[in-house]
Amino acid sequence: MAAPIRILTAVPICDGHDSAINTINLEFIRHGIEVIYLGYHRSVGDIVRAAIQEDVRAIGISSYNGGHIEFFAEVVDLLRKRGASDIKVFGGGGGTITHEDAIAMRRKGVEQIFFAGTSLTEMTDYVRDNYGKARKKRSLSKSREIELARELTEIEGTYGKGKRPARKRKIANPQPPIRNSKVIGFTGPGGAGKTTLIDELVLRILLRQPTARIAILSHDPSVVGEGALLGDRATMINSQNDRVFMRSMATRGQAGGLSPATHDCLALLAQSNFDYVIIETVGTGQEAMPFQKNGIVDLTVLVMNPDYGSQLQLQKIVMLDLADVVVVNKSDLQRARTAHSEIEQRLEQNRRAQRLIDTVAKRHRDPGVDRLFDLISADRTR
Amino acid sequence: MSKLGRVVEAVEKYNRFVLDQVKRARTDEKFGRELITRWSETKAKTPVTHTPTGLPLPRLALPEIDEPGEIARYLFGEGLPGEFPFLNGAYREMYLEPVRENELGSYGRNGDKNEVAAEMSPANRSKVPTRPPRQSRPPEEPTRLFSGLMLAEDTNERFHYLTQHQRTHRLSTAFDGPTLYGIDSDADGVFGKIGEGGVAIDTVEDMVRLYDGFDLGSPNFSASMTISGPAPIIMAMYIAAAKSRFGSKVVPKLRGTIQADIFKEVQAQNETIFPIEASLRFLTDMVEFTTRKLPRWYPISISGYHIGEAGSTPVQQAAYTLSNGFAYAEMFAGRGIPVDQFGPRLSFFLDCGLDAEYIALARVSRRIWAIGMRDAYGAGPRGQLFKLHTQTSGRSLIAAEFKNNLTRTAAELMLAYMNATNSCHSNSADEPFTTPSEEWIRLAAHGQAILLEESGIFKHTMNMLSGSPGMKAVERAVEAGILDEFREIERLGGVLAAVEDRFQRSQIQNAAHRYEQQIYDGTRPIIGLNRYRNGTDDIPEVKLARTPRAKQQLQVDRLKKFKKKNVEKAKHALDKLVDVVERGENCFPALLDAVEVSSLGQITGRLQEVVGRFRPMV
Repeated sequence: MAAPIRILTAVPICDGHDSAINTINLEFIRHGIEVIYLGYHRSVGDIVRAAIQEDVRAIGISSYNGGHIEFFAEVVDLLRKRGASDIKVFGGGGGTITHEDAIAMRRKGVEQIFFAGTSLTEMTDYVRDNYGKARKKRSLSKSREIELARELTEIEGTYGKGKRPARKRKIANPQPPIRNSKVIGFTGPGGAGKTTLIDELVLRILLRQPTARIAILSHDPSVVGEGALLGDRATMINSQNDRVFMRSMATRGQAGGLSPATHDCLALLAQSNFDYVIIETVGTGQEAMPFQKNGIVDLTVLVMNPDYGSQLQLQKIVMLDLADVVVVNKSDLQRARTAHSEIEQRLEQNRRAQRLIDTVAKRHRDPGVDRLFDLISADRTR
Repeated sequence: MSKLGRVVEAVEKYNRFVLDQVKRARTDEKFGRELITRWSETKAKTPVTHTPTGLPLPRLALPEIDEPGEIARYLFGEGLPGEFPFLNGAYREMYLEPVRENELGSYGRNGDKNEVAAEMSPANRSKVPTRPPRQSRPPEEPTRLFSGLMLAEDTNERFHYLTQHQRTHRLSTAFDGPTLYGIDSDADGVFGKIGEGGVAIDTVEDMVRLYDGFDLGSPNFSASMTISGPAPIIMAMYIAAAKSRFGSKVVPKLRGTIQADIFKEVQAQNETIFPIEASLRFLTDMVEFTTRKLPRWYPISISGYHIGEAGSTPVQQAAYTLSNGFAYAEMFAGRGIPVDQFGPRLSFFLDCGLDAEYIALARVSRRIWAIGMRDAYGAGPRGQLFKLHTQTSGRSLIAAEFKNNLTRTAAELMLAYMNATNSCHSNSADEPFTTPSEEWIRLAAHGQAILLEESGIFKHTMNMLSGSPGMKAVERAVEAGILDEFREIERLGGVLAAVEDRFQRSQIQNAAHRYEQQIYDGTRPIIGLNRYRNGTDDIPEVKLARTPRAKQQLQVDRLKKFKKKNVEKAKHALDKLVDVVERGENCFPALLDAVEVSSLGQITGRLQEVVGRFRPMV
């Protein structure tokens, strides 16, 4: 089975009209497409950076607030400038984009504009017909970022065919095999706030370590051969930054919170000169131990929600034995104090130096997140 | 229980009260007689007006009932127009033509104490409600057209064009994308957005240009500004602009509305720039300031329009709007602002589309608001009024065979006025394509004039179309639906908790998805799109109002000049602002100073450093 089509969708800067794109995203994933959704009010720079890092086939832009001719053209131009013109641009804007506008936009390199009244089926067919076939030979990578993104695609593609790669993967410009990155793994149940927490940590790294570079490998669940909505970028507002390389992966049917290709992708990122490599699993169940056989992760963080049920439930969570750091996020909730003491008790059984930190990741400048940052960056301050 | 739970209880209790009164009117003979007397007096005192053809009509039509129970059901359950619980209208006469002297009769001359049912304490609540005072000011035209394009001077020109034939100058301002997101016109990647979809405002100098030539302190002038995320900053700019033209004595005279509705931004419209809590704090700072210093200003317009436009059902629209309103009231009261000070300064904004619910959506909303504010918040009569601006549905307008949009808007206007909205905006038929152009704006405005002035539907008689059996059925179903939504929000811990849980947001998206599906599968007929389609793809010839590049460049140049001129002063003012914010004091006075010397984007940027940025909910 061919690997799913990956596309990026977004709404332009100063535009919050996300109703249409939400509907379209759902339709795309229903038809087996992996959609990396960047959200609304997104700049040209954010869109192009994300498209390159995610190595998508195309960018779909939904614009309702005017200025579309300039905006679409700027996206096309910046892709070209960055050496990524094999990423195509299409989009629509209901009635706000006239036929005349569309002609001007096509002239500037936009591949397709959908008008009001286009059916969802037409759009899905268009994406499958035009972006479904494997790319022909690709031009030489103009930057290490593009190269890295393509290598990740290659790894994912190999696993997508249902088997482990037979040959050793070749790296185009082999880096010396040094392990210079600190690899931190985040896991925990869905809705605990992992994504927000990581984004807040990224903000602190960017502010306090002015040259540090970060890679993020983020996961969302999907079933074999089906689509996925990869939406972490939409909420990770601080991670859309030139010093952050982010890649969203669908699990493509693998249980346990990661994708079959994760191990190899992580290995590649870990030797690609990032100061931090952060990996986030999908929301996991009690039995999950996603980083166990991995051997690459230096520090594992389990992010918990205070609402885990009875105290007995804690006994069943395997990661509580394995994690280096346990975070109780949403510690502003009523139940947080009970959660803290119950988890503390549970960790004491392990007789290991595990750390327990309370955070409210959604709060700006949260002191709990500051403590977590100090902990993960202790050996990294320059 | 949050306050919303108390509102549900209050409405249920009031409905029981109405039933009790009906029963009592039938069993308590004295009470029944009082009601009958009051009923026949009201009818007798109602002046008769004559239509142009000479047909005599009462200025207030009442149901033909003479049985005390039914009279009680009407007077307590609905209220006469202008009387609690205001189902039939916030005011007695709404859009009626002024009374001619020879028609006056005893009406309007009586020296009643004009006690309103709303004022009654629980102890004397069963007293028969009497008539409220008549409006003393000549009624304002309810037409208020939304406008904003290109640069401040261009919008200013449009404002003058729109108001040239009007007694009262009621301007409604649309802002461009960068302004709505608190970004400067010289920010990266926004050049093409400058002046698109609304006017570009970066500095207080733009604000001066925007309302140039209008007398901002006049009782016949009011400005409405449709902006929420950066509303406190824009409000400060408006005050600063007014002061620079008319001196500080103008401040208490300023009349107008600023939208400033953060909840609906987070729920539907996505123009939020600070985290929710910080946004609400800045809003409350502004409200605290304006209720004291600008007593005629409406510092918040609690808006369902965008909730409806984002795809909610009509019931969701009303339920979320009302519950947002009750949550704001709770917040302002929590800051120590007396309910009778902020209550009368709250206003509402609803969408009116073509679904059956719209026959009574605003009527029911007005009733729930009045009961909730009186019985759960202890508001006096003026704080019970649900003052409503309506806009016809933009979402119902489509590009295909776009001239049909005139008919859609006309039908929606009819529904809006049947609901006795206080003011209304009618959309231009070319809205699916662009900022409306003058030709279609004119037709939209004339649509209202035809309905209110040319036709006899709304100018002779109050209650002309109120109270049909169908309308009653819709009212009952809509009220039950709204209360169900309230209970669900209450179960989630109240409005703020539900918002943070993305409750309203996901409900709206769900409804939007269903709506689209219905269009695609044809169960929701859209003429010219999925039914009676013209076959050929007609390319409408609409003259687009786009902002020329030269103008966009001019805006950027002016902004740069302003920043250069104020570089030192801005730094100082912004430091002071940040300081006040960090200390947790009311930051509005510091904002007033900051806007004199710094741009919108500079202020937003500095504030975001302190309070953070809004993290989108997806």
